[in-house]
Amino acid sequence: MTGAILIETLLNGLITGAIYALIGSGIALIYGTTRVLNFAHGEAMMLAAYAALILSTTAGLPLWLAALGAILLVMAGGVVMQRAVIAPILAREDWSFRIIAATIGLSIFLQSAAQLIWGEGFSALPYFFDGVLVLGPVRMPWQRIAILIVALVALGLSALLLYRTRFGQMIRATAQDAEAAEAFGIPAARVHTMVFALSAGLAAVGAIMLAPLLSVNPWMGVPYILKAFAVVILGGLGSFGGAILAGFLLGIIESFGVTLTSSEWRDVISFGLLIAVIWVRPYGLFSTREG
Amino acid sequence: MTEMLGRRPALTLLLLIAVLAVIPFVVTNPYYLHVLTIFLLFAIFASGWNLTLGILGLKTLGHHAFFALGAYGSAMLSHYAGVSPWATIWVGAGIAALAGLLIGVPILRIRSMPHVAIVTLAFAEIIRLVLANLKDWTRGELGFWGIDAMPALNLGGTVVEFGTGKPFGSYLLALAFFAGVHALLLVVLRGRIGLTLVAMRDSELAAESLAVDLTRWKLGVFAFSAAIVGLSGALYAHYIQILTPTSTVGPEMLVTLLAMIIVGGVGRFTGPILGALLLTVVGEALREFGDYRMLLYGGIVMLFVLGAPRGLAGWLALIGRRRAA
Repeated sequence: MTGAILIETLLNGLITGAIYALIGSGIALIYGTTRVLNFAHGEAMMLAAYAALILSTTAGLPLWLAALGAILLVMAGGVVMQRAVIAPILAREDWSFRIIAATIGLSIFLQSAAQLIWGEGFSALPYFFDGVLVLGPVRMPWQRIAILIVALVALGLSALLLYRTRFGQMIRATAQDAEAAEAFGIPAARVHTMVFALSAGLAAVGAIMLAPLLSVNPWMGVPYILKAFAVVILGGLGSFGGAILAGFLLGIIESFGVTLTSSEWRDVISFGLLIAVIWVRPYGLFSTREG
Repeated sequence: MTEMLGRRPALTLLLLIAVLAVIPFVVTNPYYLHVLTIFLLFAIFASGWNLTLGILGLKTLGHHAFFALGAYGSAMLSHYAGVSPWATIWVGAGIAALAGLLIGVPILRIRSMPHVAIVTLAFAEIIRLVLANLKDWTRGELGFWGIDAMPALNLGGTVVEFGTGKPFGSYLLALAFFAGVHALLLVVLRGRIGLTLVAMRDSELAAESLAVDLTRWKLGVFAFSAAIVGLSGALYAHYIQILTPTSTVGPEMLVTLLAMIIVGGVGRFTGPILGALLLTVVGEALREFGDYRMLLYGGIVMLFVLGAPRGLAGWLALIGRRRAA
């Protein structure tokens, strides 16, 4: 493996990892605060991509405005979903599995609804950035580099929100103990809803950055949701930082795995790794206790 | 116990089997028999999965992997080694049980439900990818076609044939396995094993304090459940005679079976049977109107979880109790 290929593989791994980190950190955030495993998270990606596509091509908005509008729409969708589906189930006993079942149902429902409305056609968003970055022998399109940069900015802003603001303090307090937080006047139910909106927004950012490179289709969230679950388990279920770290790590491992074997076996490597890790470190790479 | 089995489960099962046994002599439309054959095979699948999902309370999401392992295992063994499907279906079930043991060891040490759900789902995804990638053996997504039908049987002078295009024999064969599997489940669940399982579901700690070896029990039930699902997969393979990785272990299979168990009633003996019957028939009826099946299954899972978490079996039990009172 020459130096140029090494750098290119590493960069590709970081870019894929950035997407995993965006999707995974949202799932971790939701799980950390509400103990809910959201299987419909991939459909937030799919809806964001469609929303951006429709706003830019059909409604004729400038690309950046369409992207912003799509992110806001999907965040609103996250609020609706949390209020209409998640909150009513949380109020009952044995909710833990019911939420999984309900969100799996929702996920398939949204996929087939999208298929019926928008068809099976595959279309892509135009590139946000043209041109190719040339660094010596390494060549990389700016659109791909932008994924990494935008993801880092979005994750950085979320981290600031979580650890440097009063709202973030409220989220972390609710995550530690929702009842105790409520006793101190924190509206835990509203915090739960806001967390859903925030993580839907993170997924939307990832999907919109990917949409010019991938085709926008009803099933585009499916491969990412499973990968994001793997990331969340590897990072220690419910840990925001752990999910980001594990996301980048998995991206890099996959990238090198593909160069060494072939792309067909990429996901087998990832999921095999997940099962192996569960075997030796049940609660994630970075923690030793149940999340 | 009554909650799990319902009142008079043996009588209910016997009546159901009696009614189902009359059908092929009355209904001659081959398409209806085909739909009911699919119902019977999926009912075996759903009851097998319900054993871990509902009765043991272990929320696994990867049982379609055992279905595919049973199906491909039996189909490939009969195709490449020339062994009779009458023997290979049992090998298929055995392969599924072994896989259940293999994946059971890492997950059963964890009590966290999300971990179990995700790891079993990832396992199913690995099986799907491996089946799709081993193109030389499975032909990948092009489909493994030309699978042998179950060889015909000579029953006292009458030859009964099986496989696609032989609805009468196929239906009776599926019914025989349906009856056998459910009778076995009933015997197992009514005895000490059933009591132990209910005790474990209600409180693992309490069960452990009564000297129940949790890990061994869970592993055993998990393998048993995988074997039943694998058997249903093997029967399916030799009936449909073509398999693809996506149709056997894709997300649609997961949702279809999950919908059957949830609509019927999680953790109830008759639940998966009712759910499989209703959804297979409704799904087929919808086919003429276009591709609404997945929309319906996804929506129905959500609605039942939100509005009727006990499922049809729980609802029927409630009516029965009211009438009895």
